[in-house]
Amino acid sequence: MSHFLDRLTFFRRKPEPFANGHGITTTEDRGWEEAYRARWQHDKIVRSTHGVNCTGSCSWKIYVKGGIVTWETQQTDYPRTRPDMPNHEPRGCQRGASYSWYLYSGNRLKHPMVRGRLIRAWRAARKTLAPVAAWASIMEDEATRRAIHKVRGKGGFVRVPWDEANEIIASANAYTIRKYGPDRVFGFSPIPAMSMVSYASGSRYLSLLGGVSLSFYDWYCDLPPASPQTWGEQTDVPESADWFNSSYIIVWGSNVPQTRTPDAHFFTESRYRGTRSIVVSPDYSEAAKFADLWLHPKQGTDAALGLALGHVVLREFHVDNPDPYFTDYCRRYSDMPFLVRLVKQGDHYYIPDRLLRACDIAGGLGETNNPEWKTLAFDEASGRIVAPHGTLGFRWGEGGRWNLEEKAGDGSSVRLALSVAGTADGVEEVAFPYFGGKGHAHVAGTEHPEILPRRLPVRRLAGAEGEIVVATVFDLLAANYGVDRGFGGANVASSYDDDVPYTPAWQERITGVPRDHVIEVARGFAANAAKTHGKSMVILGAGLNHWYHMDMSYRAIINLLVLCGCVGQSGGGWSHYVGQEKLRPQTGWLPLAFALDWTRPPRQMNGTSFFYTHTDQWRYETLEVGELLSPTAPEGDWSGAMIDYNLRAERLGWLPSAPQLRANPLDLAAAAEAAGQAPADYIADRLVVGELEFASQDPDHPDNWPRNLFVWRSNLLGASGKGHEYFLKHLLGTAHGVQGKDLGASGQGAKPSDVVWHEAAPEGKLDLLVTLDFRMSTTALHSDIVLPTATWYEKNDLNTSDMHPFIHPLSAAVDPAWEARSDWVIYKELAKTFSRIAPEVLGRERDVVLTPMMHDAPGELAQPLGVRDWTRGEGRPVPGLTMPQVSVVERDYANVYTAFTSLGPLLDKHGNGGKGLTWNTSAEIELLGKLNGTVREGPASGRPRIDSDIDAAETIMSLAPETNGEVAVKAWQALGQQTGRKHAHLASAREDEKIRYRDIQAQPRKIISSPTWSGVESEHVSYNAGYTNVHELIPWRTLTGRQQLYQDHLWMRAFGEGLCVWRPPIDTRSVTPMIEARKAGGGKDVVLNFITPHQKWGIHSTYTDNLIMLTLNRGGPVVWISETDAKTAGIVDNDWIEAYNANGALVARAVVSQRVPQGMTMMYHAQDKTVNTPGSRLTGQRGGIHNSVTRTVLKPTHMIGGYGQLAYGFNYYGTVGSNRDEFVIIRKLDQVDWLDHPAAALAQEAV
Amino acid sequence: MRIFKLLSLLLGYPDEAVQQAAPEIAALVRDEPALPRETAARLAALATRIATDGLLDTQEAYVALFDQTRSLSLYLFEHVHGESRDRGQAMVDLRTLYEANGLEMEPGELPDYLPLFLEFLGMTAVAEARDLLADIRPIAESLAQRLAKRRSDYAAVLDAVLALAPVAVRTAGSVAPEDELAGHDHVWAEEPVRFTAAPAGESP
Repeated sequence: MSHFLDRLTFFRRKPEPFANGHGITTTEDRGWEEAYRARWQHDKIVRSTHGVNCTGSCSWKIYVKGGIVTWETQQTDYPRTRPDMPNHEPRGCQRGASYSWYLYSGNRLKHPMVRGRLIRAWRAARKTLAPVAAWASIMEDEATRRAIHKVRGKGGFVRVPWDEANEIIASANAYTIRKYGPDRVFGFSPIPAMSMVSYASGSRYLSLLGGVSLSFYDWYCDLPPASPQTWGEQTDVPESADWFNSSYIIVWGSNVPQTRTPDAHFFTESRYRGTRSIVVSPDYSEAAKFADLWLHPKQGTDAALGLALGHVVLREFHVDNPDPYFTDYCRRYSDMPFLVRLVKQGDHYYIPDRLLRACDIAGGLGETNNPEWKTLAFDEASGRIVAPHGTLGFRWGEGGRWNLEEKAGDGSSVRLALSVAGTADGVEEVAFPYFGGKGHAHVAGTEHPEILPRRLPVRRLAGAEGEIVVATVFDLLAANYGVDRGFGGANVASSYDDDVPYTPAWQERITGVPRDHVIEVARGFAANAAKTHGKSMVILGAGLNHWYHMDMSYRAIINLLVLCGCVGQSGGGWSHYVGQEKLRPQTGWLPLAFALDWTRPPRQMNGTSFFYTHTDQWRYETLEVGELLSPTAPEGDWSGAMIDYNLRAERLGWLPSAPQLRANPLDLAAAAEAAGQAPADYIADRLVVGELEFASQDPDHPDNWPRNLFVWRSNLLGASGKGHEYFLKHLLGTAHGVQGKDLGASGQGAKPSDVVWHEAAPEGKLDLLVTLDFRMSTTALHSDIVLPTATWYEKNDLNTSDMHPFIHPLSAAVDPAWEARSDWVIYKELAKTFSRIAPEVLGRERDVVLTPMMHDAPGELAQPLGVRDWTRGEGRPVPGLTMPQVSVVERDYANVYTAFTSLGPLLDKHGNGGKGLTWNTSAEIELLGKLNGTVREGPASGRPRIDSDIDAAETIMSLAPETNGEVAVKAWQALGQQTGRKHAHLASAREDEKIRYRDIQAQPRKIISSPTWSGVESEHVSYNAGYTNVHELIPWRTLTGRQQLYQDHLWMRAFGEGLCVWRPPIDTRSVTPMIEARKAGGGKDVVLNFITPHQKWGIHSTYTDNLIMLTLNRGGPVVWISETDAKTAGIVDNDWIEAYNANGALVARAVVSQRVPQGMTMMYHAQDKTVNTPGSRLTGQRGGIHNSVTRTVLKPTHMIGGYGQLAYGFNYYGTVGSNRDEFVIIRKLDQVDWLDHPAAALAQEAV
Repeated sequence: MRIFKLLSLLLGYPDEAVQQAAPEIAALVRDEPALPRETAARLAALATRIATDGLLDTQEAYVALFDQTRSLSLYLFEHVHGESRDRGQAMVDLRTLYEANGLEMEPGELPDYLPLFLEFLGMTAVAEARDLLADIRPIAESLAQRLAKRRSDYAAVLDAVLALAPVAVRTAGSVAPEDELAGHDHVWAEEPVRFTAAPAGESP
């Protein structure tokens, strides 16, 4: 209604005053105000957050009106920091702010859906058959099976009732378990920290079945293997507030303002405080504008830059003018004083061998417990050789000496000698490998020899078995950096201008960074650290970690930090922010997530090896192990293909196996019994004679295929699936864009020697792919069954991050829309259906479970002095020592639901714990019984209930030290037993505090310090990793108990990575096979290095199919290229382009930008092919995604296990899915084909 | 008016109940006096197809058409507000309207779901129903066109809605045309900012 008629133009009304003239009454219409009032009216505000994979962990207010979510705003009620520090808020980003749209989006999944072909077959079968028999009849009819699988990704869904969907899934699970074994049922879900109850719901269901949880952190290549290698720690980093405490920050391969938006303010604020800021990034990234100095090395050459920085620091702060703080730090907190055996290789020089152990010395220095795991050093004062406290041997089998006190095993005080330079028995030539001489088509090499002998001081000792020549790690390290210390000989530099690895002049040729900049940064970084005792920090990210040789970049930086005493000091250290989300109440969550309260051990599989094997990417492997091998590799059999190495690692109990054996694990216990043997002996014996074999020995045999896969909280196929087209071809068996030929067809490269090769590769290994999601992602598109799940405003859950110390919730602001259900309810109901139908084929079963030797358990002591491979006749397989551990687990398949919804008895029996600690938790179980109520009847009678998602959250928070002060005190006391020191003071002030779900709905709560983590939550310092190691003298969980810069495992030495070296990107050879296609294409093109960073319009708090984000960018997939390369290929901005190589092809628009250096192209991660993606001319398939042109390559050093910190842990160590060494050919796409015709033709043909 | 309920049934998900009722629906719409003969006949044909085709085929086609094609979304505000925040308030307003008419929504659908809206219209006075229809006319028009372009027999339902709606006197908001990919870039391209005259050979 218009108001102009009511409004007076020439008059005003005489006011009538009241309240002694303080008030007047007017009569003009105020209806217009209503619009504004309504705009902000709401019935309630609910606290929640966004959890794609975001470390932001920002608390948001969700406004609800009339049962409908209307908008969200940032919460501003985080507990304050202390005086002199900025507060955490505001937290949030534009991506999260656009989230409420998703609830009602056209892209929302609304109903359970099944592909038409499957539901037809199912309903037909179910007319006459019981559920499991019905599923069996479909899967055992190969024509029907293939017909269903061939149309994956081609639409054809129909809505089905929940009960029917559940019945199909449960039948598939039961059938698979009975026929092939529970280790053929898989689940993939990443990053529990973002919604830990939702993760746990699926993994609890799978674990009760005996199914397999696949790891993600390593598969995403976000896991930095250098962290477990150095610290025995998956990843632990400073909270972002600690950036403010730093006075020198290098941001390296990380794009803080773009990908850590809510935390970037601390970076800005620290600069106001005067912090020097260096940004290292090949492109002019969003972070680069924060730089006082921007270094832009050629992409993939960061290790060279890092080594040169280390060279300068060693020269100036350790050799020429040793800084007392640095020296003291390295002596006490690193492995630098420890002794390494040197062995002669050939006639001319020595090579470094393993670290010297107490068992190498006659009498073992009096150490009788684990002498082979106690490393040795010289005491500076007495000159005697000692076994200092805190090495791995002190951790297990005894208590009280596993600490970093400066004491020898006999209790006497020591001061370890960093170098033997003053006490040397001589100077010897030691060989160091140099890999930088090997270039390939796209990476230039330098002309240094592949072996660099350097002279260093050594000592000669009388060993138990003759003379031993040793050097300290420090002396080896300094020589490795090419620092001339006056011992003569070649390959060392006295000037920064010498072209010797690893001087500033040397790196200039590789990275393009001026040597002056390197010298300036190294000096500034170290001088600041010396003055502030370690307040120099490196923030590093995916720009480094996603390369094949990420370990070298990371270790170069870690070396720099350790040399400058920065790790474990507030304001300093290693800040790796790549998909690392800290599941703070981890030890409370583990029992819930892996059903450890009912059955142990759970089945867990490392994702990378699994996907490499079962998407058959190994069949296309052109990287030969020999290319990676060091010229100084110790003698041994280093033959075999990459997949053979992975198989060896499985057989040796290093990496997990799933599917585990070519046998149903439910049959093995009975078979062992029939043979009159214990299962472990039975399996070991059969393995030796070849009657049993590992499934990975023949991964393409139908007996060994993975059969069922659940994907939830993930877009496996649209985001993280490296080698996307191989997934489509081999795992799913549908239309794909793989261009290259496998090794059999191409004749290029050596086929595996141990792993069986089938001439015809399987297509369609998976019987059933189920995806739980709230949007039609690329993964959902390719699934057989799609289940609509609750969004982040529709469920109750927990959320934590490493970027801030608070725990806060996701809360159900509204009920799930349409037929959606929360993940917890979905899996709970599935468990119910499964329990109902399982008795058709399953009862109480004994399941034989193989597990690798685990880190943080005595198993990490399995293989101390060398690798003995029973498959090569080197001894017999001994479960738990030279082959996987064997356990028998009882499963009651009819009672999966009962177990799912109650807290089982194993916690009473075993207690709870984590990271090698155990404490009694019966008080918490009793508390949970009172809090959640107890089960009234049945097999779980009297047990605490875990019925709702809030019950599950309370279970996590009650059991975890981080949210239950009483448990925290117990946990610190348990650690004190091992270290012989008192740590409980770190939590005693909060002993009575119990954080509950309703508390965190009211306000985010700061967690309680716990020994699960290496930093402390305190009113005096910000959280920083390694803090308790340095300040509480708790050893790092490594071989020496110190920061481990020398990696002495045989495979590390064989592959030349005992010490950090420069390794250029690998040659993936994916462009060369495309010469024919290139010729056929005719026109202009350009070959570019393919980089997939995280983006502004999606990561990490929403998805790229969000229309707001699409509108802010180009509305569909884009790649960035430089102006020069664009010109070469005749491309102008916004042109459609095709990028392709042997792995496949993708179509996107070009963003031509000065930001990008010549020679590389960037395609932002996870742009789904569901939005504005035309067809590829080459493949004839829709567009492709960024991973259509990638293929992952394993690295042998990541397979090592059973060896201290190099022992397996889920998401802790294992192969990683790197993808940045890849090249693509980019050409302009003249004709854009939207493939806008129905898939009907194909469907007809396929039937 | 009963016809609204019939349209609601035809446009909703074709489950078993709809399939069984479809012959009856066909008979009823054929004789519907408020509709042009031709429209009524097409509606009856649609109902007959639902009655006779395999249920799963019908459902597959329906899901592809309405659940997975954004431009054919049956949620009215998808076409008006899209992803904007105004959508929440608009839905609240609509729900308030239903409540003012003494109707509570069953859980499981949004207030702007077209079949739901049609059912509501069937329970309101004819004059009011026509007024409300006028509000959604532009949306119905574009849906009708898009369905016709795809040669979908569901176009009949939207044509019927249009036949029942008075010619719009005001619009409920602008409706973006369905993406015409050829002209897409042109529509969205911004004029580049130039500080000098256009270089020779380039059009300004």
